[in-house]
Amino acid sequence: MTMLDEDVLTDALRDAAEAIEIPDGAAERILSAAQPPAPKPRSSHRRFLIPRGGRGRMILVAAALVLVAGGVTLPLLATGSNPPKTVAAGPSPAGSTVPSPTVVPSLGSAGSAASSTNGAASTPAIPSTPVTVPSLPPGSVGQSAKVEAKGSVSLTIGDGKLDSAMTKLTNLVASSGGFVASSQEQVTPGQSGTPSVGTIVLQVPEPSFTSLLSQVQQVGHATSVATTSTDVTGQYVDLQARITALEASRQQYLTIMTQASSIGDILAVQSQLDSLQTQIEQLQGQLNVLNSETTYGTLTVSLTEAGQRPVPPPPPRSGISSAWHDGVGGFVSGFEWVVRVAGPTLFALLCLAALLVLGRFAWRATRRRML
Amino acid sequence: MGDLEAWLEEGYQRSFRTACLILGNRYDAEEAVQEAFLRAWKFRASLASGTDFKPWLYRVVVNTCNSKLRQEIPHRDRRAAEQDLAGVSNIDDNPGRIALSQDIVKALQDLPLHLRVVVVLRYYADLSEREIATAIGRRQGTVKSRLHEARRRLAEHPALRTETNGDSGDSDDSTTASEVLR
Repeated sequence: MTMLDEDVLTDALRDAAEAIEIPDGAAERILSAAQPPAPKPRSSHRRFLIPRGGRGRMILVAAALVLVAGGVTLPLLATGSNPPKTVAAGPSPAGSTVPSPTVVPSLGSAGSAASSTNGAASTPAIPSTPVTVPSLPPGSVGQSAKVEAKGSVSLTIGDGKLDSAMTKLTNLVASSGGFVASSQEQVTPGQSGTPSVGTIVLQVPEPSFTSLLSQVQQVGHATSVATTSTDVTGQYVDLQARITALEASRQQYLTIMTQASSIGDILAVQSQLDSLQTQIEQLQGQLNVLNSETTYGTLTVSLTEAGQRPVPPPPPRSGISSAWHDGVGGFVSGFEWVVRVAGPTLFALLCLAALLVLGRFAWRATRRRML
Repeated sequence: MGDLEAWLEEGYQRSFRTACLILGNRYDAEEAVQEAFLRAWKFRASLASGTDFKPWLYRVVVNTCNSKLRQEIPHRDRRAAEQDLAGVSNIDDNPGRIALSQDIVKALQDLPLHLRVVVVLRYYADLSEREIATAIGRRQGTVKSRLHEARRRLAEHPALRTETNGDSGDSDDSTTASEVLR
C-alpha cells in the first residue's frame, strides 16, 4: 500500500505553516476582548431564584419533570385508599337557610342513634343520644322559628322480618301523631340470594321528629343516619309580609272600583285586581306548603334484610369443563396482570426517556460550554 | 491577564497556523483562534491540575474550528482568494519544496475534516497520538487509524501523484518520488 512519508509530510506542513504570516495585533485584540466588562450601574439589585441561561432552563425542565411525575404518581398511590365517608353537621343557626346534613355510615351495634349538634364533626359510630334539633330563637320580626326537619335512616333487619319492621314503624309514627306518607316493599324469593328491601316515608309533627328518629333506630341495625334541619323563618316572614302588602293593595283597588264610573276604568281596575288576586293565591300556596313542611318532619327509612341468603353451590363440573374454566380464568387473570403492570411500566419508561433526553442535553451543553 | 498573555505568547502562533491548516483560510483561522483563546481563558478553571495544557488548548482550538466549519462557513460566500492558503508561500530557497508543500496543503484541504485535523495535529502541531486523542476526544486507536487513512489518501491524491511523477526526473528537486511515497 502506498503511503505518504511522515517526514515529508511533516516538513511540507511546517514549510506551509511557516509561510503563513501571523496577523498583527491579534494577541492584543484577544487581551482587550478578555478584559472583564465594566460593571453596569444598577438602579435596583435584582436576584433571580432560578439562574438564567442554559442552567436555569435545565432546572426548570427538571422541576417540570418532578411536578409531572408527582402529579401522576400521587393519584396512583391514592387509588388504593378509601375516600372519606362522613360529613356531619348540626342544624342551621337561627336565620340561616343553609341545609346541614348529618351522615354517619358504617355504624356499630343495633340500637345506636345519631346525634347531630351544631358544627359537630363526623364520628365513627352512632352516639347513643338521638339527633336533636335545638329549638331556634324567635325570629327578629317576632315570628316563632320555622324549621324544616328531614332525615333518612338505613336499617338492617333480620332475615324475613321486613313485614314486621314495616308494621312496627307504622305504629311508631301513628303513636307520635304522624302518618305514613308512602311505603314500598320488594320481597325477593328466598333462594335468589338477593335480600328483601323496603322503604317507608314517615311524616311526624316537627316536635316529635327527634324522638321518632330515636325510636326508629331501635327497630333494626342502623347503618346510616342523615338529618337536615333548615330554618325557613326568614322565608316565612317574607311571604307573610308580601301577602299583607298585596292584600292592602287589593283593598285600595276595591275602593277605587266602587268609585269608577266608566266601563274602561272598571275594566282596568278589574284587571289589576285579578293580577293581585293571582299573586296573593300563589304566595298563600307557598306559605301553606312552608307551614306544612315546618309542621311535619319527613323521615325516610330504608329497610334491608340482613345477610344474603346462601346461594346453592353450582353442580360439580366435569374434568374437561373444569379445565376449560380454569384456562379461561387463567387467561383473564394474566391479561388483567398485563394491563395492571403496563401502566406503571409505561410511566417508568416515559420518566426514563425524559431523564435520558435531559441528561444528554445537559451533557452536550456542558461539553460545549467547557470547551 | 498575566496568564493569558503568557498563553498567547506561548501558543498563539502555533494555534493560528494549526487553525489555518485546518480551515484553509487565514481570516477564519484568526477568528477561530481568538474565540478559542477567549473560551479557554473563560473556562480555565475546568483545566484540572496535572492535565496537559497543550492538548487541552488544542482541543479548544479544534472544537472552535469545527464549530466554524459547521455553522458559519457553509453559509458564507466564497472567501477572498488572497486569504486562501493555496496562494501563500514564502519559501524562496527551493522551488521544488515550495511546489510539494503547496500540493500537500492542497491535498490536505481535500481530506475530510476528521482526517485533516489529526494530520495537522500530528505532523504540524507535533502532538503525540495520545495527546491527539485527548484533543479530539477520541480513543488513541481511532487516532492511529485516522492517521493511517489520511496518509493513504494523501498518497493517492492526484496533485501529489503528479508532483512526484513530474519531479522524478528533476535533479534540482530535493524531494524525489521515492522519498515522498514509501
